[in-house]
Amino acid sequence: MIEVLHPGIHTSIQDMGRMGFQSLGVPIGGAMDQNAMHWANYLLNNPKQSAVLEMSFKGPKLLFHEATTIALTGADMQAKVNGVALQNHKAIQIKENTILEFGIAQQGKRTYLAIAGGIQSPVVLGSRSQYKDITPQTVIGKTKLIPFNKTQINGQKGARLSFTASDWDNKLIPAYKGPDFHLLPKKAQTQLKNNAFTISVKNSRMAYVLEEKLIHQIPSIWTVPVLPGTVQCTPNGTLIVLMRDAQTTGGYPRVLQISDEGLNLLAQKSTKAYFQFKIGSV
Amino acid sequence: MENGPPFRFFITHPKVVLLEWDTEPDDALLNRLIEFRKAIKKEFVEVIQITQGYCSLMLFHDKAINTIDRYQTRLNLLYSSLVSFSKKNSKLWRIPVCYSEAWAPDLNALSKSLNMTKDTLIEKHVSVRYRVQFIGFLPGFLYLSGLPKILECARKDQPVSHVAKGSVAIGGKQTGIYPVNSPGGWHLIGKTPYPLFKPQEENPCFAQAGDSIQFEPITLKNYWELEERIKNKTFKIRPE
Repeated sequence: MIEVLHPGIHTSIQDMGRMGFQSLGVPIGGAMDQNAMHWANYLLNNPKQSAVLEMSFKGPKLLFHEATTIALTGADMQAKVNGVALQNHKAIQIKENTILEFGIAQQGKRTYLAIAGGIQSPVVLGSRSQYKDITPQTVIGKTKLIPFNKTQINGQKGARLSFTASDWDNKLIPAYKGPDFHLLPKKAQTQLKNNAFTISVKNSRMAYVLEEKLIHQIPSIWTVPVLPGTVQCTPNGTLIVLMRDAQTTGGYPRVLQISDEGLNLLAQKSTKAYFQFKIGSV
Repeated sequence: MENGPPFRFFITHPKVVLLEWDTEPDDALLNRLIEFRKAIKKEFVEVIQITQGYCSLMLFHDKAINTIDRYQTRLNLLYSSLVSFSKKNSKLWRIPVCYSEAWAPDLNALSKSLNMTKDTLIEKHVSVRYRVQFIGFLPGFLYLSGLPKILECARKDQPVSHVAKGSVAIGGKQTGIYPVNSPGGWHLIGKTPYPLFKPQEENPCFAQAGDSIQFEPITLKNYWELEERIKNKTFKIRPE
């Protein structure tokens, strides 16, 4: 078990998401940066669908009741064990009764903590990803216990991953034209291709609202299916980027679709970060 | 059967295909979407999930589609081979709704603005069978068509931050039930004790696209009794 001494700003259990229930209105969900989560599990030889802890902005303070092996990927959150700094991107042995403490995210916004064998919280509708009204808890709260498989303590690969600062600083978000892109006037299409866009304070696991508006006049549409990465344009030109916890349907025109890679990159950006869409073909 | 209205084939994402019909939604289109969806599920093993809108289907695949042309040909062939939708697979669900003022904070104001008595409003609301177009927005939220024209009304200017789970509401040309606590901009006229979404069950939502819904008015006393029976698992609505 891991005991949560302090939950951090937004810490939740995530995996690859919940596939197969969108037709009942259930969001896909899952880790915001699937790539970082994947590498964390990879370092421990965990199965791909193993659940990890996603920590956003400022991480938690955790007490490990038993020994295990962990790996940290994503943003550097100044992880410390008994005051000693830990490195991201490699397998780390944790002794029993160890306190692991995180600080504020440097470069990037979300950090992933994988545990040997994966987090063993209840599976609801095929996934452990926490989501309001689906799983018993929406986020990790104080004093909560996070179960893991304590018999599975060695599974790490010898590998160490290396990242360079430029990976974090990537301001080009790959995207495809959305089903309603062609309805936009030329000027708005050019805006989408050439301008920089800024993430507003309204950003969550569900959606990022952008600050800059499009100049457009497109008719509203009948409610349609949407998915993570869909970029909607409201009647006043506001762009809404749907993230992993996106609703399954939406009523605004869909001007772009961000690629999986683009979504992972955006997951590591937050308020006031700016970027440009790199529009290519599917 | 005659060829159905043509659809647009759009690749949204390497693993996602969108099919869209450029038409107003109606019963005939809904029947066709349901039939097509069923056929795709059966014939396309690579499709792992299909979501639906008023005039669209979205197909999710387990991996990127690489032979687009062949895929599209197969899809077109399947579409042209569809037989007509049979009503025998669609169910009628009678959902108990209490229209008592305790659960209907907006009933008074709405009936006034629609120029009718509260009783007339309720009578109209329970008089028709609504059809489930699809499920979306929230887990277990049914998009229903068939609201009597006389009950159409503008949505609230400002959504309220908390609408209780089970609330029955009218907004614009639509009526619906909030399956979970959420913010909402529709006018609240009643509440059902019956859960629309049960995540712990294998089939979390009883209704599906194409089914019919009729609201059955119940008293406040009935409401409490039903709520107790639902808690004890001695009450379950059955389809007709």
